[in-house]
Amino acid sequence: MEPALELRGIRKAYPGVVAVNGVDLDLFPGEIHALVGENGAGKSTLSNIAFGEVRADAGTIRANGTVGLVHQHFELVGRLRVWQNIVLGREPRRGAQIDADAARRLVTELAAANGLEIDPDAYVEDLPIGVQQRVELLRELEREPTVLLLDEPTAALAPAEIDAFFKTIAALAARGTAVMIVTHKLQEVIAYSHKISVMRHGEIVASLDTYSTSVEDIGRAMVGGDLPPVAARDETKPVPCLTVTDLHAGSGSTRCDGLSFEVRGGEIVGIAGVEGNGQTLLSDAIAGMIGYTGAIGLDSRPAIVPQDRHREALVLPWSIVDNTILGRQHDAGLQKRGLLDRARARRDAQTIKERFDVRAASLDVAVKTLSGGNQQKIVVGRALIDDPKFVLAYNPTRGIDVGAAALVQSRLMQARNAGAAILLISFELDEILTLADRVLVMYRGKIVGTFDRATVDRGVIGRLMAGSAA
Amino acid sequence: MKRVANVFRGPVGTLLFVLIAMSAVMLVAGSSPVDGFYYLFKGALGGPAEIAETLAQTTALLFPSLGICLAFRAGLFNIGAEGQLMLGGLAAGAIGAHFLAPGPLIVFVLLVAGFVGGALWAGLAGWMKARFAANEIISTLMLNFVALNLANYLVSGPLKSPLATGAETAPLPPAAYLPTLIPDTRLTIGLLIALALAGILQFVFSRTVFGFDLRALGEAPEAARRNSVPIKRMTWLAMALSGGVAGLGGAVIVTGELHRFNTSLSPGYGYTAIAVALVGDLHPLWICLAAFVFGILEAGGLAMQASANVPKDAIHMIEGIIIIVLAARRYIATRTETPA
Repeated sequence: MEPALELRGIRKAYPGVVAVNGVDLDLFPGEIHALVGENGAGKSTLSNIAFGEVRADAGTIRANGTVGLVHQHFELVGRLRVWQNIVLGREPRRGAQIDADAARRLVTELAAANGLEIDPDAYVEDLPIGVQQRVELLRELEREPTVLLLDEPTAALAPAEIDAFFKTIAALAARGTAVMIVTHKLQEVIAYSHKISVMRHGEIVASLDTYSTSVEDIGRAMVGGDLPPVAARDETKPVPCLTVTDLHAGSGSTRCDGLSFEVRGGEIVGIAGVEGNGQTLLSDAIAGMIGYTGAIGLDSRPAIVPQDRHREALVLPWSIVDNTILGRQHDAGLQKRGLLDRARARRDAQTIKERFDVRAASLDVAVKTLSGGNQQKIVVGRALIDDPKFVLAYNPTRGIDVGAAALVQSRLMQARNAGAAILLISFELDEILTLADRVLVMYRGKIVGTFDRATVDRGVIGRLMAGSAA
Repeated sequence: MKRVANVFRGPVGTLLFVLIAMSAVMLVAGSSPVDGFYYLFKGALGGPAEIAETLAQTTALLFPSLGICLAFRAGLFNIGAEGQLMLGGLAAGAIGAHFLAPGPLIVFVLLVAGFVGGALWAGLAGWMKARFAANEIISTLMLNFVALNLANYLVSGPLKSPLATGAETAPLPPAAYLPTLIPDTRLTIGLLIALALAGILQFVFSRTVFGFDLRALGEAPEAARRNSVPIKRMTWLAMALSGGVAGLGGAVIVTGELHRFNTSLSPGYGYTAIAVALVGDLHPLWICLAAFVFGILEAGGLAMQASANVPKDAIHMIEGIIIIVLAARRYIATRTETPA
């Protein structure tokens, strides 16, 4: 069979790094091809080259038809209606005017043909993330691509939405579209793809048939070896550290609507939920960043791993040493009468570098030159360095490579074993199920389910996250 | 091509580019750059008197430049150094005309008064920013006009010296004069105060918790807010200190050369200082060098006009070019970063 898209000898270098180094890849009609790899392995660069958004330094691309790309971050206009977004740039016209009726009809037919339910007149900004993604997908499908590239398509979806999404993709493939999914979620790769290409350091290091491989094999190929196991879970004595009572904050669908729970020393409480169900307000309330009603009982300053490391946790142009100080600059150990103790900070930075295996040429390099995984190791290392009683970790492994993620999870587990109370807010259910002693499911600002580790039921949690009663 | 562009990065590269731009301006003005530079440097550095004048200009620029540096490093675009300078000078002149104290004490009191005057004026903009999120670029700029007109009113009315013909305060007693470094020149120990201040500022930035908080606020405000930086307090405090340093400069001019206050205190030092601070990359020690270079331009410009027929306004064109070059440099620097 003729490939729908044929890449040969693709190479792309950025200053200081070869992002893609001599990659050959064929995508065939009717095939779902997963492209996996750690962050920075070159997946996104390769898909951008295939789509034509980035020009390769060398190599050839042969496409048999058109190529569509659905971005990881949706490129929709929130204030326009669904149909307006879908026909944007190619609006059917009647004279000088947009033919809204024709456009609406087109969108409705397109949605029906692909089994996607959508209200063409809804405003995109009012839609849940999963539905927005449908809009993004429909927009690409309207161009009838023979090759469809999907960059981390399920990053923001609930488990139920993920299932529905892949059903649509499978149907598309069955009708002859060549699909490539860029992702780091290996379970999905196993469940839904036909072929798998693993990228590492800009090269394809393994090409696998999905039916004859396993998550472990793929993981090994991604990191080039075995993953360190997450630290063992010790028995601990429960002492309440964080007590949240009837917390209300914010308004609208992302508010916190009467949350009550506690986190005890020596346990990890996981907040499971789809993005945008009040987690950010909960985190900001605990961090003291916003006003709220109700009570948050804490007997020490919370150590926080915020969700956006670039904006909220690090001063990117600063060195590792200075970023180690940040947040602790007023603490007695790091300053005397207003003068910083840089020697102490350097020792702390060295400790973090060793405990978290931070790959950096020196402690004086700017953190913006480090990979996302190494940056996150610094953020988590800093949060844990003073043996805090309470840690709030918000998506502590989001967007970092699997090796770094495993290390971060291990260190959180060790902190728990040492007696810290940890509140883990994560959009990755797998992460919560790996780490948490108790799981609280959050939906529309309320806790809709509480599970002990022993009684956790993945299916029930997934349904609660999507808003249906268990 | 890239290597050529790299030469122009950094403060030294900027100065190099400025020299080339100056040559172009001189050619356009119809004179030879060789003559132009010769008379410029002769006028600025040709003898002890010329050097003293250059250093006096350097001193006058250095205070507002360091003040601006302090605010900019905190991410606060204090465009109001001119007004803060003016009010610092006004405070020193108004108090000095009516306040009697022995010898060095009175100089000290007047310098403190200048600092406080500038600090209150800038602190007002800082407080509005911290309290109401008022844009400091607008408020500090507008306060410049208020300051100038307020000063004009006061020296034409309530504070006007009955003996003076022009609009100015009564003269200071000689005991309140800032000592000169070279007799019969405008060069005073103000230069030493400014240099010491630059050293102190460098120390504050690199070693103190206060400087750490200030730089964090400037580099990453959201990260600062979430990491124990008291941002409201830092906002008004950084702004007030920034204005204080500029105001101190006003007091130095009043006690050092005018020996009274009038609004001819500044020919726009507070505006030129923005360029000086940026050319110095917001580093106090580089700013000292940049202020010296601008001091040469200001002091040598007159000689250049007289002897090489290059209008002094060319100097202000140069200053404008510098700001554009800097803006372009930042833009290039952000554009050529490795994509994520």
